[in-house]
This record gives sequence, C-alpha cells and structure tokens, in this order.
Amino acid sequence: MSAIDELITELSRLPTIGRKSAMRLTYHLLRQPAAQSRKLAEALVALVERVRPCDTCFNLTEAAQCAICVDARRDRQVICVVEEASDIASIERTGEYRGVYHVLGGRLAPLDGIGPSHLTIVPLVSRVMQAGAREVIVATNPTLEGDATALYLSEQLRASGATVSRLARGLPMGGDLEYADGGTIVQALAARRAI
Amino acid sequence: MIRTDAIVLHAFDYRETSRIVRLATREAGVVSVIARGAKRTGGKFGQGMDLFTSGAAQIVLHPTRDLHTLGSFDATRARPGLAASLARFGAAAALSELGMRCAPEDGGGAIHDVLVAGFDAVSVAEAHEVIPRTVTAAWHLAEALGFAPTLEHCAACHEALDTEESVRFAPRAGGALCARCAALAPGARALPADARAMLLAWAAGEEGIPADAKVARAHQRLVREFLEEHLADGKPLRAWRDWEMNGGHAESR
Repeated sequence: MSAIDELITELSRLPTIGRKSAMRLTYHLLRQPAAQSRKLAEALVALVERVRPCDTCFNLTEAAQCAICVDARRDRQVICVVEEASDIASIERTGEYRGVYHVLGGRLAPLDGIGPSHLTIVPLVSRVMQAGAREVIVATNPTLEGDATALYLSEQLRASGATVSRLARGLPMGGDLEYADGGTIVQALAARRAI
Repeated sequence: MIRTDAIVLHAFDYRETSRIVRLATREAGVVSVIARGAKRTGGKFGQGMDLFTSGAAQIVLHPTRDLHTLGSFDATRARPGLAASLARFGAAAALSELGMRCAPEDGGGAIHDVLVAGFDAVSVAEAHEVIPRTVTAAWHLAEALGFAPTLEHCAACHEALDTEESVRFAPRAGGALCARCAALAPGARALPADARAMLLAWAAGEEGIPADAKVARAHQRLVREFLEEHLADGKPLRAWRDWEMNGGHAESR
C-alpha cells in the first residue's frame, strides 16, 4: 500500500471522516509545507506516548495524576463517576461542579460482553473507602445500561457509608413538551420539585 | 418503506452522532438499521431509542443490503423497570441476545410479540420470578421459531412418555427421551416429572414458579443448552451465560 493510500485509510477510521474527507485531508497535507505535516505527526506521537490514565481517577493526563486530582481547591469528599474521560469536559464546561471525578471506562453492557471486571469499579470502591467520601454522584448516561451500572455501583458502595446520588433527568432547557417522548415526560414527572 | 411496531434489542454508536440499532419488528423480523443523528438530544429519535423500548418505526428497507435506514422511531413504551434490578437487567439482555441470534429476518410478528411479552413480564417480576418468566419467554421464542422441545413423546422414537415418569432430556435429540433411547444418548440430563410438567405448563402459557432457586437455575441452564444446540452459528449465548453465572452481576450481593 502506498503512503498516500495508507494515510487515507487511517484517516477514514476517525469519527466523522469518510473516505472522501480523508482524501481531501491527505492531499491538503501534501500541499502544505513539510514542516507543518511533521509537526502534526509529532503531536500524534506525543499524544500516544505521553497521555495515560490518571492513577487516581482514570481521567486522561500526562502526569501521574490529572490536573483535577492535584487541584487543592477541589472537594475530594465528592466524587462524580462518569463513563468516559470525555464526559468530564461536559461537566467542567458548566463551571458548577467543584468535586473530583472517577472515570469508569464504560458501562455494564452484557450484550457487548462488558461486565464489572472490565470497569474501574474496584479502584472506585477502595478510593471511596480510603478517602471517606461523603457523596458519590453517578453521572452515567441516562440509559438502561447507565441505570443498571448506577444500581450496581450503589450496591458496591453501600458499605462505604457515602451518599450515592444519580444525576436528575427530565425535560431539556429550552425544550418543547409537545415534542418530548413519553419516557422523558415520565422521568420529569417523577423528578418534579416544589417551586 | 415500511411502518411497523418494533422493539430495540441492541444499539451501538456509529460515528459522531448516529447509532446502529437491532430491531425486532412485527413486519420484517429482526433487522439492523442505521439511525442517523440518534445521539443528538432533541433529534428526530429523541431519547426514545434506549434498549428494550417499544415503538412505531419507519424503516427504509434496502433489499440488497443488511443495513437498512431508520426514518423515524416513535417510542410508545420504555421499560425502565428492566434496570430497577440487576437480575432483571441481566435477564432482559439474555432475552435480547436470543432475539438477535435466533430470529431470522423474515421471522414475522410472532417473534416480536414473544419478546414484547417477555420484556413486559420481566420488567415487573419479583426477584424469584425473574428466571421463570425469562425461561418461559425463551421457550415461547423457540416455539415461535419452530423448534420447541418434544416433551410428551420421545424425541428419538416418538413413543409416548408417562407424565408421572422422570425422563432424560437431550438437547441434541430435540427434547425428552424414553429410557431405551436415553441409554443411547450419553450426556442427556435428568428431567424430573415435576420439571417436565412445569415446562409443559410454560409452553401452554401458564404461570409457574419453580420450587426453589436451585430448580430455577436448572431450568435456566436447560433452556440455554437446548437453544445453543439448535442455533445455526454454534456460538455460545454470551449474555445468557453471564446472566446464568452472575444473575445479572449479582456477585455483589
């Protein structure tokens, strides 16, 4: 396989990149100065060689611990559990959460052969025990698999004494009741609150 | 394009915003569809494409392809009860796996209806009812697919079997065996008279709860061994085995 074909094939494996886009990107890289393409290659190599999971929370980091785990202003007594490291960015964007995180690395999915041993549940339980955390917020996705994972975690954490909570769910901000599906409305009704 | 009742058996992400979904449909059997934009909040599929959700699907069928296009999916019944206990969740995954592995694309509405009834029954099952309700649905699925086990006659020589008698059950032979044929079928399992009576009751659509958890687990294993024997691809039922071993990850309890 030629170098051009190889790059097209590799680029087309990326999300949102089809074969045509991969071809466009490849020829763009060939047209630009070689130094620019070399810089991109070096950045990719650095990404693969330097980025690793945080020893504490399994977030992605270049050091032994991620920036959130070493931040002294963070409340270590509150741990938010997410499925993937990319979920952390979504919560951090709100600027409202001051606790720390734990990345599970997925969710229970028997149909995909993913069980508890494939997730970072054992390190989470020992972390909660050791830190004497007062609350664990389970922020797995609002799906049946996410719910089952939350249930499993709550059972695993029962002995720790920590409060285990789940992110609320219901109608989205700016949403229209008329277009909401039945399941969402049921959840919103169940989680209604006094005003 | 067809419009049909459907239930979500499995879904996984595809590229940035789409999902590939396995649906059991009333009109077209079990099909794979691509739901473009399904991951977007507020998209045309909303949050309604969760596992084990029933709905009305509009599907563009491509006769020469295995992957069809989902035009819309209006959820009519979500089943959050299936995630309210790990045993139910494991059982639902096991049933879903059966639906995907056993059901042909031209399976017709019976398979869809059996799965819907099975998910509904499991979603409200008490802890001791989860196994019998799931096993019942699995036997009904085998019946709908045309390979229900023979229980009243010997599966090999077709001699009538005394209902009061314990027999041997051989998945490979297709069901219960008389004493003479059982001697020629090493590895056949003992099937006590009461267990056979329960299988017949389930087949007839009656409710039945095994005497204890050990008997329930024996039924769970029996149906799995029977179905694995008769599945065309010869692969193990992974989710069913996981549920059987861990009770839906019940090792925590």
